[in-house]
Amino acid sequence: MTPTRNRSETGDLAARIARARAERSDDADFEPRDGGAARGAGRGFRLASEFVAAIVVGALLGIGLDAIFGTTPWIAIVMVLLGFAAGVLNVVRAAQRMGSEGSGAEAPPAGERDE
Amino acid sequence: MAENPIQPIHQFQITNYFTFGTIGGDGTDGSGIEIAFTNSALFMLLVVGLISSFLVFSTRGRGLVPGRLQLVSEMVYEFVADMVRSSAGSEGMRFFPFVFSLFTFILIANLFGMFPYFFTVTSHIVITATLALMVFLTVVIYGFMRNGLGFLKLFVPTGIPWYVMWLVVPIEFISFLSRPVSHSLRLFGNMLAGHIVLKVFGGMVVGLASIGFLGVLGSVLPLAMAVALTGLEFLVAGLQAFVFAVLTCVYINDAIHPGH
Repeated sequence: MTPTRNRSETGDLAARIARARAERSDDADFEPRDGGAARGAGRGFRLASEFVAAIVVGALLGIGLDAIFGTTPWIAIVMVLLGFAAGVLNVVRAAQRMGSEGSGAEAPPAGERDE
Repeated sequence: MAENPIQPIHQFQITNYFTFGTIGGDGTDGSGIEIAFTNSALFMLLVVGLISSFLVFSTRGRGLVPGRLQLVSEMVYEFVADMVRSSAGSEGMRFFPFVFSLFTFILIANLFGMFPYFFTVTSHIVITATLALMVFLTVVIYGFMRNGLGFLKLFVPTGIPWYVMWLVVPIEFISFLSRPVSHSLRLFGNMLAGHIVLKVFGGMVVGLASIGFLGVLGSVLPLAMAVALTGLEFLVAGLQAFVFAVLTCVYINDAIHPGH
């Protein structure tokens, strides 16, 4: 099988080079940039973890500060609300980052991004 | 795994191979923290050993025209270098060895976990939290070293009137503190959940097949699911290593350019 294929391929060097280039460009983005459902699930999980992490951090900070100052529910309540806001902020930023990765080939140059 | 083949959590059990001794405690048996060489440590050593020996071996020829293995090494290098340069700028390249080590360690550890009977290092939160805290402390320490108190501008967005500042600064602060949490939980959760789901479907095949003829017929469905999930897990293994490294670059960029 291989010898006949080789003979037919050696005929046109330019075509072989073009095909090799095309194959390599396929290899280059082995990152599943357009992996369909798996990519969507990955994105969803990423956003969810950003959101939950901020609330958890806010709650823990609030409970800790309450324990120090002895003001039991109050600082925790405020900090959970702030954590909720921080979670929304995280999600918005992560979504912006994903959008800039998805639309352009590269992320915007350093220093210009609003993060 | 031998005594209970369909227990999905059992694969994450830490076993001690030998102990070096204990730290702390009052000298009696069972007190203090035991320092042991575990299966987790063994697989971390294997991962690091594989990466190091592959990179050293594949670039041994130093060919101007790279061979196959050298090409693989160079592609990994270029890939990480592009990632660092595009999200942290050329100044971020001083952290290239750090990001490269993190990326290759997580990638190979995740892929090692795909071998049957192998231990998945990254499915333990101790490991991922340590990695995330390393990134976090690097950002905080380098940020203060490079910018001094100007690093605190990270919490103060520009163009905000003073009367909402008291609300925005705590939100930014919590958002900053939540980074290592989400950074570590994401990798840990993905690897843990993936392996549990895979094991559950594998256990279903065993359980159904032991019922009888109809059970064997029925076990085709979870088997197909397990095959599909294996493919998905390979994707997740690569994707999570990539995401971890990209976010590391983004955070390092904040340490270099703290202004918004």
